Amino acid sequence: MREVDCLNLRCPLPIIEIAREIKTVSVGQSLVLLSDDPATWPDLQAWARLTGNEVARENEARFTVTRRSQNDPGDR
Amino acid sequence: MAREALLGAFDQGWADPDKLSYQSSTARILRDESVATIASHLKIAPYQLEFIADSALGNFHAITGLLKPSTLLIYSAIDRSEVMAIAHDRKSVQLAVASNAEINCDSLEADLPHDSLLALQVANGETGVIQQCNRIIEIFPTSKIACDFSSAGLRVPLPDRWDSAFFDAKSWQGPEGVGIIAIAADDQWRNPLPHIGPQRTTSSVSLPLLMATAVAMDSWVGDEATESQRLRDLSTFLRSEIRAGIPDCDIAGDLDNSLPHINSFSFLYINGEELLRHLDRAGFAVDSGSACSAQNLTPSHVLAAMGLLTHGNVRITLHHGAQHDDVVALVAALKSAVSEIRST
Repeated sequence: MREVDCLNLRCPLPIIEIAREIKTVSVGQSLVLLSDDPATWPDLQAWARLTGNEVARENEARFTVTRRSQNDPGDR
Repeated sequence: MAREALLGAFDQGWADPDKLSYQSSTARILRDESVATIASHLKIAPYQLEFIADSALGNFHAITGLLKPSTLLIYSAIDRSEVMAIAHDRKSVQLAVASNAEINCDSLEADLPHDSLLALQVANGETGVIQQCNRIIEIFPTSKIACDFSSAGLRVPLPDRWDSAFFDAKSWQGPEGVGIIAIAADDQWRNPLPHIGPQRTTSSVSLPLLMATAVAMDSWVGDEATESQRLRDLSTFLRSEIRAGIPDCDIAGDLDNSLPHINSFSFLYINGEELLRHLDRAGFAVDSGSACSAQNLTPSHVLAAMGLLTHGNVRITLHHGAQHDDVVALVAALKSAVSEIRST
């Protein structure tokens, strides 16, 4: 799985980055997000709820993000 | 009005109320009158009140004065950070909240120890959400209850049962630096700090600020009869304009269960600090619960506990006198700021 490295980036940059990258995969495919910002996990879950995608936490700084929505979640 | 009272009070109320002189007895009368006014609005007896200059310390006093080393502290995931700090190094239970911020007691163990204290934040300052206090208190029949009214102020009545309550004069647009601790029964509460005098607490508030607090209270209560519904209507309008006009936004809580004047919005992909700067340039002073400032690296525990977006957050507080045109201008400023930041 492709990794999106957002270590040392502060909120909301990891969320902006994953929204940009998720557009490059097709529905059902996943990306790994690396981020050590304490806001990433709550914000990633809120992002998934708002955009209709799916997220899971692998460990403290590693998250799996699966594209579930046909829409471009990163339209901004 | 509170400002005029404050200036007048510096002329009349400068003397030490506890000394023997003409000025001191004038000061003593002024102090007693102010305390009586404050007490009557709070519906609490004057002798049950203590005054303290620092809000966080006041809430700390209201809670820890009721705690023994063995007491289990029960508090919610959205409570103020000083409550988290008190809970940190003692026996405690944290109550989760639902996405609408209502305290969820379902996960609680059936038999709580008799010796426990419920720290109950009556309304949350970040989101304005009001708890169903009497329903929650029923679940804790043997616990002592410390109510934090610092945001709820005079907008929410005292619950059926309480042991201490904390108020902040800012909640009725009074001066900064006046906290009020109400103690239901003198024998249940003891000053958590070292005693350095015969008084119940070591802190006090300057007399002019106390007088300004009483005047602000009179004036706020007079206005509130009409302002409460007007501010609620303005908040309804503000929330529906934001919901319709700005995509990808979390609005905290349900206005029906909230204070009428507090509104919290979180915008996806937005840096909260940048948003505040845009709004400041447009002439709006608002607050943020986001962690995007250098001095505060952890996200808002309140928004996180509710499952809401913690970045791009602004808290919009409408004071008495806020006008419809102000809200229209604010919505326009928010729309343009969000779309500008999102497009860069």
